[in-house]
Amino acid sequence: MTISDIREQKISEDDMKALEKLEKGPWPSHVTELKKTRYPIEYYAWGVMHKYSPWYSGSFRVRYVFSGILARRSRDGKVSEVHFRTYSPAGRFLSTAYLKKIAYVAEQYGIGLLEFAGNTGAIVINIQPDKADQAIDIIRNVMGSDVGGSGDTFREFYACPGPALCEFALYDTLAAMDFFRSHPEIYKFLNTQLFPYKLKMKFSGCPFDCAGANARSDFTFIGTWVGAPEVDQEKLREMIKSGKVDPKELAKRCPSGAISWDDDKQQLKIDGDRCLKAMNCIKMAFPAIKPGKNRKIAMLVGSHAQAHYGPRLSWGVALLDDYKEALPFILKVIDIYSNNAPRRHRLADLILRRGFRLISDAAKETLPDKPKAAPSSHLRFTTGVVLSDDERVTYAEWAKSLVKDYYGGEQ
Amino acid sequence: MAETFVPDPSERINKRLPMPYAAQFPDIIKRNYGKWVDRKFHGNGIIEHISESGESIFTVKVGLPPNSRISVDTLKKIIDVADSYGLKVVRATRGMNVEFITDSLDKAKKIVDVMKGYGFPAGGWENSLWHITSCTAYLTCSTFAVDAPSITKALYDYFMPYFTGEEKLPSKLDIFVSGCTNICAGTLAGDIVVVGHWGQAPKPDPEKIKFCLPTSAEALKKVTPDVAAVCPVNAIKLYAKEDGSVGIEVDDKRCIACGRCKNVCDYFDWDPDKIGVGVFVGGKTSNTGSGPRLAYRIVPWVPLNPPEYREVVAVVRKIVDVWKKNAEPGERIGDTIDRIGLEEFMRQVGVPKSRHNACIEVSWNFGVRQFIKYV
Repeated sequence: MTISDIREQKISEDDMKALEKLEKGPWPSHVTELKKTRYPIEYYAWGVMHKYSPWYSGSFRVRYVFSGILARRSRDGKVSEVHFRTYSPAGRFLSTAYLKKIAYVAEQYGIGLLEFAGNTGAIVINIQPDKADQAIDIIRNVMGSDVGGSGDTFREFYACPGPALCEFALYDTLAAMDFFRSHPEIYKFLNTQLFPYKLKMKFSGCPFDCAGANARSDFTFIGTWVGAPEVDQEKLREMIKSGKVDPKELAKRCPSGAISWDDDKQQLKIDGDRCLKAMNCIKMAFPAIKPGKNRKIAMLVGSHAQAHYGPRLSWGVALLDDYKEALPFILKVIDIYSNNAPRRHRLADLILRRGFRLISDAAKETLPDKPKAAPSSHLRFTTGVVLSDDERVTYAEWAKSLVKDYYGGEQ
Repeated sequence: MAETFVPDPSERINKRLPMPYAAQFPDIIKRNYGKWVDRKFHGNGIIEHISESGESIFTVKVGLPPNSRISVDTLKKIIDVADSYGLKVVRATRGMNVEFITDSLDKAKKIVDVMKGYGFPAGGWENSLWHITSCTAYLTCSTFAVDAPSITKALYDYFMPYFTGEEKLPSKLDIFVSGCTNICAGTLAGDIVVVGHWGQAPKPDPEKIKFCLPTSAEALKKVTPDVAAVCPVNAIKLYAKEDGSVGIEVDDKRCIACGRCKNVCDYFDWDPDKIGVGVFVGGKTSNTGSGPRLAYRIVPWVPLNPPEYREVVAVVRKIVDVWKKNAEPGERIGDTIDRIGLEEFMRQVGVPKSRHNACIEVSWNFGVRQFIKYV
C-alpha cells in the first residue's frame, strides 16, 4: 500500500472497534475520557490504527495574544482544533475553587477536555475555535490566569513542590519561580516571539532534582550545600538499633566512599571534601542524616531534549547564595542568545557552535565573586535512526520472539 | 458566573499571571511552609510529612489516564473528592498524575478507596513505578510519528501492579513515552524512555512541499529556507530547477531521522510500516548513585502493532526483568548498568547489536557534581 492509498482511506467502523481495546485493561483509559467529550475521536482512531497522521499543523490568531495558542487542522479540511496553554501557580498547587473555574471554561468554551498536567507545566484546555476570543477574556478575568508558553518565548516555568510539601527543599523553589516569572525584565518577553527558539527555567529544591531541571531547562536551579551532610549521631544510633539503618550499607552505597563507620565509637564520619551530594545516605537514614547547613543554589545552563544537536544535560555555571543573584546573568545570556543564535537553535546549540566561553565570560562579568563550575558535556547524541531493511527485519524478529516468550504462541 | 465586565482586548498584551502560589495553599501548609522535618510512607500512594510543630499532612498520589487527558466529568469527580476528604487543594505532578492533600490517615485511605471506585488507582513512591509520562502525540499535536498515549496505556495496563505496590521493584522506576524525537514526554534522562521515530528519511510530499519552499530559485542565493537550515547533517538539498522554481532532495544516507525538518514543515511523508520506537535505558536526573545522565540507546527500533503494542510492552518487560534479576536493593537501572557493565546488560536483554546501539559508557560528572572541586 502506498502512502497516497493510506491517505485515501476513509474512517471506518473497524478503527473505532479497535480503539475499544484501549478502553479495556485495568489502567484508566484516555479513550474513555475522550468519549465523554466532543473530541473528534474518529480521527484519533483512524490515525492510531493507520500509524499515519490525519492532521496538519494550523495557526490560529486571537487579537493581541502572541503565545499560548496552538492549532491544527485535519487533512480532509473538515475539522480544526484549538487548544490553550494556561499558566499555573508555582508548584502547580490547584485549589478546588480554581479547578471549578477551569471546569467552567472547558465546558462553556471548550469541548469538555483538558490535559491536567501538561509537560511544560501548563494546563492545556481544548477550546472551540469560534469561542476562542471570549475564552481568553474569561481565562484572564474569571479564571485568574492567562494563556501563554508556546512558540519562541519563555515556556511555562516549573518548580518542584519545595518547602510547601518536602523536607529536602534547600531553597524556596516556589518563590524563585514566581520571582522570575513576574520580574519585569523576564515578564516583558512572555507575550512575544522574539527568541531564536524557546527558553525554559526549572527549579529543583535538592539534588534529587524532581523537576527534572538537569535535563530539560535552559536555566537550571538546583539546591545543594557545601561540605558534608549533617549527621545526628544520637538519632542515627537509635535508627541502627531499631534495625532501620545498616551503617555498613550506608558506607557501601556512598558513590565516592566518603562515609566510614567507626564501630568502637559508634560514630558515622562523612568526608565533606569527597561528598558528591548524591543523597544516598540521606535517603536511607533521614532524618538522622540531613543536607548540610551551608546551603547554596547551583545554577546550570543549556539542557534540553529537543534541539539542533540532540538532547543534553546542563553545563554548570556558578554556585549562588540566593536565586535573585542570577538575574543579571540571565539577562546577559538572553541578550547573547538572541543576538547570536541561528533560528531554531537552543541555547546549548549556540554553546556548542561558539564554545562555553560565551557563558563563562558572561558569568565572570555578572557573577564575579561566585564559585564557578567545571562544566562537562556529552558528545553529540541522536535519538532517531535510519535503518536498513535488514536491520529492520532483525529487530522485528527479535521483538517477535520476546512477544512469543511473554504472551505465548497466540498472536 | 457573572460575565458583566467589558474587557479591552488590547490589555491582553500584558499577560495576567496566576495568583501567587501561596493563595492556593490550605492553612496547614501556610503554617508549616519550609518546616517539614520527617516523612513516613503508608503503603504505596500515601506519604505523610511531619512538621517541626508536630502537625502532619498526608499526600495521596492517584494515577490519571495517559497524558493526564481528562474530561470535565472526571475533573468534577476530582474536585468533589478533594472537597469532601481533602483540604480543597490538589497538585498536578510532574509525572502527569494528581496528588490529593489531606490532614489524616483515615481521610487519605478514604481518598484511595473512592478514587479506586472511580477506576483511578493510587500508588507510586518508594520502590515502585512512579509514573509513565506520555506526550500528547495524536491527541493534540501535528508533528508526531507514533501515538504515545496508547503505548502508555498498553504499558500501564501491564505495569499497574508495580505502581500500586502489589509487585516490588528494586528501586524507583520512571518511564517516559514520546511520540517523536522531540521527546516532549519531558526528558531523555529517564530510567526507560520510549521514543517514537520515523526510522527512515522523510519523503517530501510532491504536491504540497512547495508551501515550505520559496517560489523562486533566486531566493536561495540570499537565504537558506528554514526547511533546509534546520537539518543538523545537511541532508536536505535545495536546488534551482530549470523552470526557475525550487527543488528539494533528501539524502537517505546522511539523514539521521531526527525529525527537525518535520517540525518546520508539515509536508513530509513517511512509510507507516517503517516507523517504530527506540528504547533508551538507564538515564536519570537525580544525583543519586552515579549521578545524572542521559539514557543509553539499547534498542534502536521496535515495530508497532496498535492497539496492543505487544512488541513494545514485551521489550520494556524484558528490560525490567533483567534489571530486577541483577539489581541490588535501592539501585536504579542506570546504577545497575554501571555495576554489571553495559555489555553484560545488553547481552542479558538479548538485543541484536548493530551500528545503532553501539553505546559508549559515560563516566563523567553531570548536575551538581560539576561544582564539587570548589566545595
